[in-house]
Amino acid sequence: MRVSFGGMVLAVALAGLSFAQPTLTPAERQLNIDSFEVVWTTVRDKHWDPKLNGVDWQAVHDELRPKVEAAKTMDEARDVMSDMLSRLKQTHFGIVPSEAYKELNHKGDSETASTEDGDPSLDVRLVDGHALVTFVTPDSPAAAKGVKLGWEILRIEGKELAPGMAKVRAALGSPMLAELVETRSVLERLEGPLDKTIEVEFLDGNDRKVTLKLGRAGSRGTETFFGTLPPQHFWVEAHKVHADVGYVRFNMFFEPDAVQASIQKILADCRDCKGFVIDLRGNPGGIGGMAMGLAGWFTSRSGLLLGTMYLRTTSIKFAVFPRAEPFRGPLAILVDGCSASTSEIFAGGMQDLKRARIFGAHTAGAALPSMFTKLPNGDGFQYAIANYISEGGKPLEGVGVTPDEEVKLTRHQLLEGQDPVLDAAVSWIHGQ
Amino acid sequence: MNRFYFGRRIAIGAAMVLSLTLARAADDLPKAETILDKYVEATGGKAAYEKHHTEIAKGSLSMAAMGLKGDLTTYRAEPDKSLSEIDLGGMGKMRDGSDGTVFWSLSSMAGPHVKEGAEKVQAEVSARFNAELHWQDIFKEAKTVGTDTVDGKQCYKVQLTLAEGSPITQCYDKESNLMVKMTMTAQSAMGDQTVDSFVSDYRKEGDVLVPHKIKQSAAGQEVVISIDSVTFNADIPADKFALPDEIKALVKK
Repeated sequence: MRVSFGGMVLAVALAGLSFAQPTLTPAERQLNIDSFEVVWTTVRDKHWDPKLNGVDWQAVHDELRPKVEAAKTMDEARDVMSDMLSRLKQTHFGIVPSEAYKELNHKGDSETASTEDGDPSLDVRLVDGHALVTFVTPDSPAAAKGVKLGWEILRIEGKELAPGMAKVRAALGSPMLAELVETRSVLERLEGPLDKTIEVEFLDGNDRKVTLKLGRAGSRGTETFFGTLPPQHFWVEAHKVHADVGYVRFNMFFEPDAVQASIQKILADCRDCKGFVIDLRGNPGGIGGMAMGLAGWFTSRSGLLLGTMYLRTTSIKFAVFPRAEPFRGPLAILVDGCSASTSEIFAGGMQDLKRARIFGAHTAGAALPSMFTKLPNGDGFQYAIANYISEGGKPLEGVGVTPDEEVKLTRHQLLEGQDPVLDAAVSWIHGQ
Repeated sequence: MNRFYFGRRIAIGAAMVLSLTLARAADDLPKAETILDKYVEATGGKAAYEKHHTEIAKGSLSMAAMGLKGDLTTYRAEPDKSLSEIDLGGMGKMRDGSDGTVFWSLSSMAGPHVKEGAEKVQAEVSARFNAELHWQDIFKEAKTVGTDTVDGKQCYKVQLTLAEGSPITQCYDKESNLMVKMTMTAQSAMGDQTVDSFVSDYRKEGDVLVPHKIKQSAAGQEVVISIDSVTFNADIPADKFALPDEIKALVKK
């Protein structure tokens, strides 16, 4: 069992996908019954709300247990377990068919993640269902082949993206989570061994189809380790985006020492700055407590909370401890549909405290800490262990953070090399 | 390390709120004073404690469920100076200390914090050197409130009341007189968190017995602290307990 980051939303997205299955053997049937009991017991014992959202859980068990016993296929058994979880009417609870998980978690040409893997060094966002290139690392394999911002990815290794993305969207039912899941899926498909190229078909700036064989480079940043999680690549950048606007961006909430050092340095260089931008676009979260430390750099008020996390037996307040010399000027936070978890806790809390103005697109609404475990029948099971309520009194889970100023990306703006979200934030800062 | 009161200092932000039900004291229970005195005797005696003026403890801290492990070092000096340093894998460095006047914590993750109120009172107790000998100065009241069973052995529950904040309950083995469990509500800006600490593996360090394993549970997380070495009366540079710059700056405000 491990804390799941990417997997948590993947699991929700995949719950409900179905595959044709042969009739079960008695042993397989028993494994499904065992899995049913694991799911039911885990929710009973681990859900943050002992009243289980008002659901008579024993009655659900008694109603559905005969159905899982009678299930003739894996699909039927999964449907029963998914039905059980759906009674909670909450996200981050789901059954992940093992086959579906493999399908969506498929990398370009490698079934197993490896530190020797890399990618073409570009970033992607879903814009109206189209996978558009939003960043190309200078001097990268993608840059060397001439890939530009705003190009649309149509196929990877000959496989069309659109049908798969439509399936995920339909299975998920939530456009917020869909953007996160689909984006990650596209990026993961681009990953693979460093010594192999990957064929990508683009729609270029002139609406012409272009097929390129892209090499791969090591992922940006340094490899970082956190407990049982697989190694991740972490990076942080901090600089001025204008002469009078500070800017910090990091790809996930890890390496607190490095994030602190970067912010400390840019703030020292930026004492006279008119404003500051924290760019959390694409940031999937990480260590929740880092939201508190980050907030402390930008407020001098003591006793503030970003929000409260509710576990079954306790609650944890996300208290803000102000630094001695925090930045007091206008603060803009940039978010998008791939900003999740700790990013939402931070952005939502700072918005509630009226300390920051949020720019960009609605966040993923994936703020619950959840666990992911393998069931006896081989399927995955995701379950949330806590609820989080932002200081303004609203849950973030399934709701996300709504920007104060929604700025929609367009292919045209990207092709022009613009960053309309950052531009809007800087413009607001200059207007203060 | 403060063998008598160690929960708050090493409860690194874990959190859990539980109702604490104290057993009703029975007439035949020994007095708390007797139990606490026997603990001092069982761990080496008052004279042995009084020989100590500083202490450095080194060990490790792990959260197995998350696969996290790191190093822990604590420095302590009379009468109430302390510094704990934890470097826990990807969570960065965490420090918690006292110069005898200011009680603070500092980490890259959560930032700098100067403790006040009940949190400060708890930190003062935690920082007190040889607290075992001074419990009458530290606590408003100590009383035996019942018995409990820890690892199959009976122990006496002693409730210690602070000047401010929630009481602390410690359980002392009926046979060995050693403390085997402590329950307290750690109070901080992050909320009240009940911490259960199970103490074991007492080993002699110099003339006194020191627990070398402390298993804490809070907020559904389990933290295990293993002590590798304890050095008494080591020279600790005076500036070891000086306030970090970030804390100094906060105090000046």
